[in-house]
Amino acid sequence: MAQITLIDNGSTYELDGSPVDGSLAVDAVGFARSTGWELKPEGLCREEVCIPVRDRSALLQDSMLRLDEFARLAGRVAVVDVARGVAALADSGGRRSEALATLDAPDFTLPDIHGKQVSLSDFDRRKRLLLAWSSW
Amino acid sequence: MALDADADAVREWATQEQLTFPVLVDRQHVVAELYGFTNVPASVWIDENRKVVRPADTAMGDDRFRAFTNVDSSIHHNLLRRWVVDGVRDLDDSGVRANQMLPDDDTQRARLHRRIGIVLGDRGDDAGRAHHLREAERLAPMDWTIVRGNMPLFGDDPFGEKFFEFAGRWAEAGSPGYPLGTGREQPEA
Repeated sequence: MAQITLIDNGSTYELDGSPVDGSLAVDAVGFARSTGWELKPEGLCREEVCIPVRDRSALLQDSMLRLDEFARLAGRVAVVDVARGVAALADSGGRRSEALATLDAPDFTLPDIHGKQVSLSDFDRRKRLLLAWSSW
Repeated sequence: MALDADADAVREWATQEQLTFPVLVDRQHVVAELYGFTNVPASVWIDENRKVVRPADTAMGDDRFRAFTNVDSSIHHNLLRRWVVDGVRDLDDSGVRANQMLPDDDTQRARLHRRIGIVLGDRGDDAGRAHHLREAERLAPMDWTIVRGNMPLFGDDPFGEKFFEFAGRWAEAGSPGYPLGTGREQPEA
């Protein structure tokens, strides 16, 4: 067992895990606590959404959850660096494209330059200009 | 919202003026992914009901780079003023959808490699950082937030030789980017 760093939607979690067939598997309990995704009798679930899982043993073995199989089932993409014990997950291109097409502006929280956490929803009921810039 | 791995570099710029709005630091490009930003400066308009009423698009603050970018900043400013003051949108919902840049799986993977690179860099693993940042560039070779955003991380001048090399490659590829291209002018022949 080793420590695995999981980056999910930009947030970073430290989980127990181990290499498995060129990918990584992580402790399913810690994964559920970090990402909200949990394997239940009805499927792979998060909040009200459950995805049917045909081959449970491909996803979960000895309470360890395979990240590549999770990504495949959940419509996400995974990048895994087995040697360095780091994995990252994001929506697949198709999933993200569908979300963009809803025109819902997803909420987010980021630190401001003084370290204070600020959310898009702090400015609800107002028009907002979201400006992306950089120092480079 | 600054797409910068280096929060100190953001502070250096953002504290030069007394700003009336929050300046956020998106080291992991989370908001870039959520809203489809591939270059800066760019903006998205979000209305009172948290709906996107104008997709990610070039938004220059002024005309200081106009000779290079061929973008007249006043066009976007005027559209923005009309929406804020008069409540008039220049695009309806179908116009917003028609002008979104939609990511494919490789774009998403590129963002993930960049994130891993930043996390490894924070741990002092420079070789790991370099490997993943280069992978990100390989998967999204025309994304400015990745290719140009990497330049300072590799010690390259983002206004120097590498920048002009990249800008040349990008122009040869047909300048892929925000479909609206508000304010873009035809370069003089």
